[in-house]
Amino acid sequence: MAVATATRRARIEEFDTTPESMMRRAIKAGLIGGGAAVYLCLVGIVPRFDEREVISGLLNLGRTILILTVLATGYLAARPAKVLPGQPEPPAPKAGVGLTAGLVSGAIAGFLTAVLLLLGDAIPMRNVFVAVTDRLLDILAFGQNVWLGALLQILFAAGLALVASGVHLLRPALRSAFLTGLVTVLMASLFSTIIDQILTGTGEYVRLQFLDDTGWLYDGDALTVFGTILLFVVAGALAYSRATRGSLIKRRMEAVPEAQRTTVKLIAFALIAAFLLVLPHIAGRFISDVLGTIGIYILLGLGLNIVVGFAGLLDLGYVAFFAIGAYATAMLTSPSAFTEGPLTFWAALPVVVVITTFCGILIGAPVLRLRGDYLAIVTLGFGEIVRVLVISEWLRPWTGGAQGILSIPDPNIGISLPLIGGPELDTPQELYYVILAFCVLAVFVSYRLQDSRLGRAWVALREDEQVAEAMGISIIKTKLMAFALGAAVGSFGGMFFAAKIGSVFPNSMVLLVSILVLALIVLGGMGSIPGVIVGAIVLVGLPEILREFVEYRLLVYGAVLVAIMILRPEGLFPSARRRRELHEEEIEEAQFEARHGETTGAPVVTAGGSEDVR
Amino acid sequence: MPGGLVATEATGRRIGIAARLPIRKIILWVLSILIIVGVILGSRATLQEGAYSAANWRDFVILGVAQGSLYALIAMGYTLVYGILFMINFAHGEVFMAGAFTSFFLARPLAESGFLNSNPVIAIGVLILFSILISVVTAVLLERIAYRPLRGAPRLVPLITAIGASLFLQNTFRGFFGARVRGYPIPEALRGRWDIFGLPILRTQFLAIVGAALLVVALYYLITRTRTGRSMRAVGEDKEIAALMGINVDRVIVTTFVIGGGLAGAAGVLWALVAQQVNFFMGFFPGIKAFTAAVLGGIGNVVGAAVGGLILGVLESVAPFLLLEGAGVPSVNQIKDAVAFTVLVLVLIFRPGGILGSAEEEKA
Amino acid sequence: MSLLQLSGVSKYFGGVKAVDVVDLVVNQGEIVSVIGPNGAGKTTLFNVVTGFNDPTSGKVTFDGFDITGLQPNQVTRAGIARTFQAVRLFKNMSVIENVMVGQHSRTRAGVFGAIVRPPGTRSEEKKITKRAREMLAFFGDQFPPRFHDELAAGLSYADRRRLEIARAMATEPKLLLLDEPAAGMNPRETEGLTALIARLRDELGLTVVVVEHDMRVVKGVSDRVAALDYGKKIAEGNYEEVSGNEQVIEAYLGKKHEDTRGREQAVAGQTETEGR
Repeated sequence: MAVATATRRARIEEFDTTPESMMRRAIKAGLIGGGAAVYLCLVGIVPRFDEREVISGLLNLGRTILILTVLATGYLAARPAKVLPGQPEPPAPKAGVGLTAGLVSGAIAGFLTAVLLLLGDAIPMRNVFVAVTDRLLDILAFGQNVWLGALLQILFAAGLALVASGVHLLRPALRSAFLTGLVTVLMASLFSTIIDQILTGTGEYVRLQFLDDTGWLYDGDALTVFGTILLFVVAGALAYSRATRGSLIKRRMEAVPEAQRTTVKLIAFALIAAFLLVLPHIAGRFISDVLGTIGIYILLGLGLNIVVGFAGLLDLGYVAFFAIGAYATAMLTSPSAFTEGPLTFWAALPVVVVITTFCGILIGAPVLRLRGDYLAIVTLGFGEIVRVLVISEWLRPWTGGAQGILSIPDPNIGISLPLIGGPELDTPQELYYVILAFCVLAVFVSYRLQDSRLGRAWVALREDEQVAEAMGISIIKTKLMAFALGAAVGSFGGMFFAAKIGSVFPNSMVLLVSILVLALIVLGGMGSIPGVIVGAIVLVGLPEILREFVEYRLLVYGAVLVAIMILRPEGLFPSARRRRELHEEEIEEAQFEARHGETTGAPVVTAGGSEDVR
Repeated sequence: MPGGLVATEATGRRIGIAARLPIRKIILWVLSILIIVGVILGSRATLQEGAYSAANWRDFVILGVAQGSLYALIAMGYTLVYGILFMINFAHGEVFMAGAFTSFFLARPLAESGFLNSNPVIAIGVLILFSILISVVTAVLLERIAYRPLRGAPRLVPLITAIGASLFLQNTFRGFFGARVRGYPIPEALRGRWDIFGLPILRTQFLAIVGAALLVVALYYLITRTRTGRSMRAVGEDKEIAALMGINVDRVIVTTFVIGGGLAGAAGVLWALVAQQVNFFMGFFPGIKAFTAAVLGGIGNVVGAAVGGLILGVLESVAPFLLLEGAGVPSVNQIKDAVAFTVLVLVLIFRPGGILGSAEEEKA
Repeated sequence: MSLLQLSGVSKYFGGVKAVDVVDLVVNQGEIVSVIGPNGAGKTTLFNVVTGFNDPTSGKVTFDGFDITGLQPNQVTRAGIARTFQAVRLFKNMSVIENVMVGQHSRTRAGVFGAIVRPPGTRSEEKKITKRAREMLAFFGDQFPPRFHDELAAGLSYADRRRLEIARAMATEPKLLLLDEPAAGMNPRETEGLTALIARLRDELGLTVVVVEHDMRVVKGVSDRVAALDYGKKIAEGNYEEVSGNEQVIEAYLGKKHEDTRGREQAVAGQTETEGR
């Protein structure tokens, strides 16, 4: 309690808007922003990403990242106070103060990068920091000589931050428009490959010339200048109209009478389904392949979601089930494995699920009564043990050792279907459909589980294990259920992985997979089914689409995990319950305040039994 | 009225016969026996085959002791943080790596200029201090940025954060210094062996063992005799009461991270000298193994961490050769890792309190 | 007819004798109160009966069956339910969800039922909801249907205590253990609680054991009272006998002085204010 009050007091200070505190915050923001910019340069992101153009002929990604960092610095430096429940409204900062704060923070940030530039030029930093190449220095110096470049850094950064801080002065509608426009342009540029492909594909399908030839919008990987302006204006206008007049969609929905509303929702649903079905054909081979991978990770995510999200068990060795599913499929279906008369994919499927589930129970039974952190490490250990086993010489006759198993056949659905294809599902597009079907199934199963007696038992387990047991819930059995189900669903991911790639290698069965699946659940929101889907699209799809990303994937995953836990532990699309669980202390404090008025900040010791009993 | 509130089914049937069967205990006993038998058989096979001479075994054991000493240093960092915050600082392995890897960039010029060979004691001392500095800074930043905001959160949250921080740090250093493995320079004075009580020990290993031992003793003294140590134990017992006693909880926590980081930094240079190489990934497995060691010895117990480290080091060094020569497994390093993990799993299943802890794990 | 029997039950934590060779018999349809100063071992006694702690020695018999050392969920299934000293609700679940969880041990739907939802599972779910509403309805107008979907965390303190009891009732027990149910309640709420406990026995046929400090509740509700001190049972009988017992008074107030009468009154007065 004492610790909580101290933290709250610090937070209140942060939101003071006197010139002194604004200046302090500006300096802090500048140091952090500058530090971030320097970090991004040193770790190699800026020079590496700079190889990609954002706006054709005008702006590259590396520079854009630096610009965004500075903009964020200025924006945050001038941020007006946030209001906590129960706090009186603080006075709004004067315009001049906010702008000065922005300017100062930008100058400081620019100063730090300037120092990096000068240092990099003066001493051979490259011997230690491999990323400080001539190219990086060139970027930082705006192509000029270093001293001029350094000066430009400071001025440019200050100016950008000034502009960013000025955004606060705009009316909320304009601010929303500006930000939305910016984000849209950025997204459109980063995802150029996929958007370009979809537009072209749709254009061919629907035979609209302007869609088919996207030269007006994209020039290679980057946006054209025209395209940039167009997108910025259109997105901004839409955001503006939404901010001033309320969401068009919402208003339209409210206009529809109650009875018809379900029909409207069904129609929307049908449209989305139709889009998903047509997607592989308009998106092309490469993207269908990516979608297939995303689908596999959605399956894995949904499986781990049952273990971590529903039952609250932190499993860091989930790759074990993925590996068992993949290897079992390989061993059963590939003619190059030791089994004679290999099974077909579909015949092997139930066997694989049973084997994996059994392994799940085997692994889970001895360890599920351990405490959270220990369980995490032990499962991590199991994951590694499985990896060592499949790569070992000892099991080579069965698992193929370091070479893995090849020639895994594709699933065969026996007949040729319209749109989908077949009988043999050997193209990415065809596989996409089967993966999509299983994802839908997994989503269905997840929802059903969540809303059942078992689901309630899991929530009770998360809330208070001892009390749950007092309610007659068998802790071990309930946890094992979650583990076994997680294993079963995970095995599907492994199966499709094996079939899709056609071979399995021990190097695919690494800890990274467990962490990635965990990261995508965390990002989307633990326990949230739509969250898993979003998480998979972002964390799995992005690196595939943005090739530059690949080297820094792990760095980003790590940063995402930390950032989400600190800023928004319930994830991007949490269930209402989850958000409550994770902000319990804040909610309780607010309730306490509401009942007792403002506290003095001294630690409050409540007499046991008279008020909130924890 | 909710009629029939009391269910009519007979109580006896509800309880069921299986209720009494200690299924868990039976399975655990069977498993234990299987493991013990497996170990005995495997060892017998290897010793009978005589693939290794007594000298080989002696070297394995000494290497095990050296590595174990370093595990002990890292493990103490884990156990200190755990004793105070009750969280596993998953990123501690990266704290270790940060110091070791960065010290390479000081070691290299020292070696190239010849200073390393002419004044080895001063050079190594400087390297260790530098490594400690970097590790401590990393640890403090970690605490400040990633852990402090999450003090009250449910246990899952700081754990995930720690994992993320570990990934982040690994790849940050990869981005900074590149993915290449760097050979760590060794001063002339530390090449070759010394004869200690008739045993020829690699000089680097000897340094590691002695260095670690000194630090362990120093830490023990710190924890038990000084005011700082007492404050740390108090905060570990009950954070709020400690605060009411006038202890600055935040400062104590930072101190804990500083000490843990310092130990890891020292271990980093010693490790680099023994292994003769550094790279960005060098902290991951030692981190997990050190954690295993801490658990083995009894988490929260500093002496236990040291003891656990030694035991794990020797086990890991000897077991692959002892057991698996019979099974014909070629790649020793992988089995080493598997041994460590197996030890961890076994300890946590059979005796979660560790060697120096209680047999009953807390029901919290 | 004896429903619950503790024979020589002891629980030692290292050197601390939390429960020290306690014998206790609770008969069907009785309401027994267990009193004693803080730290006397009353909650530990509950923990031993309900399986949260294994006794160091002794035996617990319920409805003729030996339940010593069973797991808590098995004890619940056998027919014993409990509430906790500090109210432990599932804060992020709604009122009705809390009670529905109580029905867990009386229902069977598993994974298959959850996913496929055959008619058996669906009717079971309906029954669970119906039962839960019945339990809540027992509290009269404390939990009208419009409150059922409210979050448990948002309830008033007294309501939370009642919800905990409702949840325990949902496990369809024969024996109900209430751990300091009146703690923190004002006099009016305490009266309501006393009436409620009596109704539990009279209308539902439950046997109840209550750990309490508030002598108003103890006096108003108990058929028998047992007093503990330092883990030992020091007195047993009806309320008058126990409250007048020398050892009991000493346990609460300390060593004896001259004014016996004044001390008896003081006991009654002291424990009344204590149980505020």
